[in-house]
Amino acid sequence: MPEIFINGQAIEARDDQTVMEVAREHGHFIPYFCWHPQLSVVGNCRMCLVEVEGRGLDIACNMPVAKGMQVFTNSEEVQAHRKAILQFITLNHPVDCGICDKAGECTLQDYHYEYSGQRSLSHDEKVRSTKFYNLSNRILLDNERCILCLRCTRFTHEVSKSMALGVERRGDISNIRPVEDRPLSEDPYSDNIVDICPVGALLSRQFLHKSRVWFLQPTPSVCPGCARGCTVQIWHRKPEWKLKALDPRQNENIARVTPLDNPAVNGPWICNKGRDLAQMFERARADEPMLKGRPVAVPAALDEARRLIGAARHPVALVSNWGSNEELEAFKDKLGEVFHCFVKQDWQPQPGERIEDDLLIRGDKNPNTTRARELFGHAEPDFKDGTDLVLVWGEGFDFAGLPPRARIIFLNSYLQPENGHADVFLPVSIQTERHGHYTNFRGTVSAFEPCFEKKPGVLHAEDLIKALAAPARGHP
Amino acid sequence: MPGRQLIMSFPVTATSHGLPDYRARGGYGALAKTLGQMKPQDVVKEVTASGLQGRGGAAFAVGRKWQVVQYDDGQPHYLIANADEGEPGTFKDRWILENNPHVLLESMLIASYALNVRNCFVYIRGEFDLPYRRLADAVEEAYAAGLFGRNILGSDFSCDIVVYRGAGAYVAGEASGLISSLEGKKGYPRNRPPRLTVRGLYQRPTVVNNVESLSNIAWIISNGADAFKAVGTPKSPGTRLFSVSGHINRPGVYEVELGYPWMKFLDEDCGGVPHGRAIKCVVPGGVSSKVLTGADIANLKLSHEDLWDAGSTLGSGGMIVIAEGTCMVALLQVLMRFYHHESCGQCTPCRHGTGWLHRILDRIVAGDGRADDIERLYYISKFNDGTTICGLGDAAGYACSGILDKFRDEFEYCIEHKRSKFGGNLECLRSS
Repeated sequence: MPEIFINGQAIEARDDQTVMEVAREHGHFIPYFCWHPQLSVVGNCRMCLVEVEGRGLDIACNMPVAKGMQVFTNSEEVQAHRKAILQFITLNHPVDCGICDKAGECTLQDYHYEYSGQRSLSHDEKVRSTKFYNLSNRILLDNERCILCLRCTRFTHEVSKSMALGVERRGDISNIRPVEDRPLSEDPYSDNIVDICPVGALLSRQFLHKSRVWFLQPTPSVCPGCARGCTVQIWHRKPEWKLKALDPRQNENIARVTPLDNPAVNGPWICNKGRDLAQMFERARADEPMLKGRPVAVPAALDEARRLIGAARHPVALVSNWGSNEELEAFKDKLGEVFHCFVKQDWQPQPGERIEDDLLIRGDKNPNTTRARELFGHAEPDFKDGTDLVLVWGEGFDFAGLPPRARIIFLNSYLQPENGHADVFLPVSIQTERHGHYTNFRGTVSAFEPCFEKKPGVLHAEDLIKALAAPARGHP
Repeated sequence: MPGRQLIMSFPVTATSHGLPDYRARGGYGALAKTLGQMKPQDVVKEVTASGLQGRGGAAFAVGRKWQVVQYDDGQPHYLIANADEGEPGTFKDRWILENNPHVLLESMLIASYALNVRNCFVYIRGEFDLPYRRLADAVEEAYAAGLFGRNILGSDFSCDIVVYRGAGAYVAGEASGLISSLEGKKGYPRNRPPRLTVRGLYQRPTVVNNVESLSNIAWIISNGADAFKAVGTPKSPGTRLFSVSGHINRPGVYEVELGYPWMKFLDEDCGGVPHGRAIKCVVPGGVSSKVLTGADIANLKLSHEDLWDAGSTLGSGGMIVIAEGTCMVALLQVLMRFYHHESCGQCTPCRHGTGWLHRILDRIVAGDGRADDIERLYYISKFNDGTTICGLGDAAGYACSGILDKFRDEFEYCIEHKRSKFGGNLECLRSS
């Protein structure tokens, strides 16, 4: 345990630590571009230069701690060098923050305000390079903005292992380029490089010029794409930036999804499927109850459902593994005695999707199979003779597989043809409209928060379950 | 002859680079002596005692580098001869590879024996054609004679050698960039720590030595450390190969005993400057060392300590003589074009700084200089110094600030009058 001094403060460090790590742990911020806690050290941005007494300047990210070393993270010399490094970095950087998606959350922008604030000292033309270079069907590259920190190449080499990116040419005309025979589009984690890019060089096509980041706010959530249950942030418009001039759908949509750093589940990464939650959640929604395809008011639909339940002699329930822990527990509690319950797999792997790997992606493409199986067992749905009522909760079930005479109560969120075939159809809210928890395949429980208001005709499944369990005349 | 000769001590003929001629000169005697009589530690001790300094540029003691490697730490060790001679003005290793490749091979075998190296490498500059062919032939001859491979000369020492051709990058001559390149990666230099003698090639302890440094080993083993120390000066033992070019009557590679008077060397051995012109300045050891004016070098001796005292270094031994009447602005522009072109682009200050220096000088030469340009050149040089991963950024800064310090008036003249004081001339003209 060597004792080192950072800005005069004595700190007990561990032998295997670098000065950067120690300083961060103890609240001494050292600016950096290329360093990343999950990636190897390349030390090429030179922004983390610190002064060590007797040794002069060196980079903190590659400096092992040594007993008694005196580190100064903010001396005059260090400040002068930081200013110079920012001069060098912005020498050929276009400084086009006004049209850059990264503006507002750009490390270079922040550091410029914090450590430099100087105009460029150069009178010469900037080095021009490619803009909007097509890296994959998801990502564009602006080589002029690139500061060659090599986080993206290191990510593809060390984390996603697709080896898809490299550096072409040398000097100030170096360019990040895809490797010929390993397309980035086949890397299911590729979008992480957009997040870790400290500047606006790597651009998400989905989010390109869609919104300024300061119009948006993140809501913590859980990716339902597989049993890993990665914690994510769903970005949507701040209430004060919901504008009447915009299409209502633009005010209420998912602008983007980013990982929420969580060492217990996913670290700082998520896969591309998690980025595409909008495609899942923004499908056409069912927003009113129906009886055999005829729209009705909520109380009427609930009455009919309660009547069917009361009349059934052998009711079966197919419980959704997209239900939150709270909803599944409510179902078990209120209706577990009434129905013979099975767990239903709402989602199956889609064509072309990576099934499973060592990093994050799991074969089970549903978020809460673990809790559902704990409550309702592992048996496959099985309809014995005499099944006269089936409650189907969630999408992805073919009604042709139901016993021919059975009545159907169907709980679904989306506008799908099956909705009209059910005797009673009840629309339920989706994850972005409610609170809840999912239990991932390892038993880790993660919470999600609502981003948007639900429509009046839509019910939260938990309320709905309680209403169905209530005596026949009650209203929710 | 500028003093005693250790490496260039024989007349070059059509066959002098071959194994029979080398053996006739007593070649591979040092290897036989090593394998027969010496323990590996003795070899390291001998080399350390000789005080041999690296000949690649930094003049780091070879013995001290070797001592870091633990002989039996259970890991494979590697030895690399750095033949990626790319420093402008330097072509001394080329002479060794072309005319005396076996002295390198013999020395590498001795070093491999001393450092417990099973596989050693020669990383040779891709543009070297004849040197590569001569070296490859020599390796073939040596294998055929049982000097490489298993159980060399009947001992239980085995060693193999690989000659690897670079692809034309100046930074690949930097030891860690060389290793990256040898591993098949882009030739990016690496951050220290770890030192290469701790984790180098394939993450194993690796010794990288310059061709000329290694080539001295055979002589040291044959004649002993004391004999080596008797050559040269106490602080700079031995000889050095200087590749002399520029405005000089007899350019070429010369072996000079260290401590030999500089002006005597230039005037007598190299034939002086053409047309009887005065020396304006000399680049002592490759363009990455600071230039010295004719007045600076008048009383200097060619030794490390004299050059360090004068604020420069013998560097890689690439001596460029520049005659009176040469335009230093144009010269610096050429140098900066080189550094700009050769910057690997890994770390920020050098990637952008070298290009910035180059663009400013292009502008000054084109008659478009601005009043703050000199200040800016100093600024870039200053913040390239010590902030980069390898020495290329530093070197560009040294070269720039070195010339600016000495010839600032020429730059001011060029900026003010929008034309060069010497017409952009880089030739050695007959009359002024």
